[in-house]
Amino acid sequence: MTVVRHGTAPDVPREQRAGGWAVVAEQECRDLWLGGRGPMLLFAFSVLISAMTYLAATNQVLNFLERKEAANLVLQVAVAVGGLLTLIVSADGVSGERERGTLESLLLTPVARRDIALGKLAAALTMWAACYVALLPYLWVLGRGLSIAGTAMLLGLLVGTLLACCLASLGLLISAASNTNRVSLAGSLFLLLALFVPSQLPMGPSPGWFFDVVLVRANPVAASLKYLSDVLVSGHAWSSGLSYLASAAIVAFAATGAVLIAADRLIRLQAWERGA
Amino acid sequence: MSLRARAAGATAVLAVSLACAGPAIARADSAGPTLEFDRTRVDLVVGDKFHLITTVTNDGSAPTPPFIAHLNVASLTSDVYVDPEDWSPSRSKLVASLAPGASTTVRWDLQAVNSGWFDVYVVLLPDGSTTLGSGPLSVSPPVFAVIGGRQTANPGGALPVVIGVPAAIGIGLLRVRMRRRRRRRYAPDGSSGRPRE
Repeated sequence: MTVVRHGTAPDVPREQRAGGWAVVAEQECRDLWLGGRGPMLLFAFSVLISAMTYLAATNQVLNFLERKEAANLVLQVAVAVGGLLTLIVSADGVSGERERGTLESLLLTPVARRDIALGKLAAALTMWAACYVALLPYLWVLGRGLSIAGTAMLLGLLVGTLLACCLASLGLLISAASNTNRVSLAGSLFLLLALFVPSQLPMGPSPGWFFDVVLVRANPVAASLKYLSDVLVSGHAWSSGLSYLASAAIVAFAATGAVLIAADRLIRLQAWERGA
Repeated sequence: MSLRARAAGATAVLAVSLACAGPAIARADSAGPTLEFDRTRVDLVVGDKFHLITTVTNDGSAPTPPFIAHLNVASLTSDVYVDPEDWSPSRSKLVASLAPGASTTVRWDLQAVNSGWFDVYVVLLPDGSTTLGSGPLSVSPPVFAVIGGRQTANPGGALPVVIGVPAAIGIGLLRVRMRRRRRRRYAPDGSSGRPRE
């Protein structure tokens, strides 16, 4: 108990650390998927994507003229909402354990805190994996007539996974810095909204430096969605707009690195301890 | 107004406009090249793809210059806006010079994207070195297109997926909940029966 309060890593034998993250990930996945929260979120996701797909398919203009736009619309919403669900799951990772009072027993297990963080990240990413698998039939229906179904699926896998890694790491960082789930979820949702808003702004043919670089390219969500649209609708080569994915890759790498490197400091009984 | 009466009216409008255009427009039955479609009417529903074939015949005694055949779609009702580019991605095609008595065919691929009554017609624009930018134009008789609306409950085959995926996930969700409820019922302390390690 004392060890935990002072935020130092428990003395874990090296042989017990090996695969510790997999044990944590398995337990987290059980909680997520057998506890009912994951299936519930996935069900809500599928209902939303079903509604979007049906509307896109019944809209005569979209249906007969711009099927690419319809597939792009559904893919963008799926990637954004899948990222949101991953963020929600990871934002519950540490603060949820604190709130439920289960973090103490978790910290007493012979698993390194880095492995705890890695396991929680992996479990959060299964949310995106499930969303992606659920999305595939919709992309097939919308893209099969134009032979863009395969492209849309690969794009979704690449961009969605990158964005999910980025948001899961950010969510876990916010969760580790929050004492309650309410703060963690509110902060995470605010962050996602702030990142999502620029993608909805009208972008002219020659956007200014501030708009293009600061609001879009430096923004993992807006830049990733722009890349999706460029490749799927505008027909750009996959390699031509890769710079748009740089921000998501950098944030994912930096945030995951921060979570893993500072796991001993981040995963503690209290996020902020007075006098600590 | 009946469909036939409206169609007759539209043809009359076309005839009047042809007459008012004067010598710049040649009637299809004049000595220049004549145009004919492979049919005079199509009945379709929105979204249907179809094709029309125009036969261009040189009825004159001299070879014709090259032409540009241009397809157009006009709505016969004022409440429907038509963008012909939506109907056909390739509306201008080159027609080579024709010897006297010779003929050639031009194929047009179209998709009905609006519901309503339409005339589809082709205009031949002279494209020779000496006739470029001059008349007379040759106009085909119109093909009367009656396009019905379509209210389908299964657009593009999306309905099985739209219903099936949430249903399958919902069944999985119900099974998870039932399993949890069963575990809780049989757990001695009323908890989930699976204490957190």
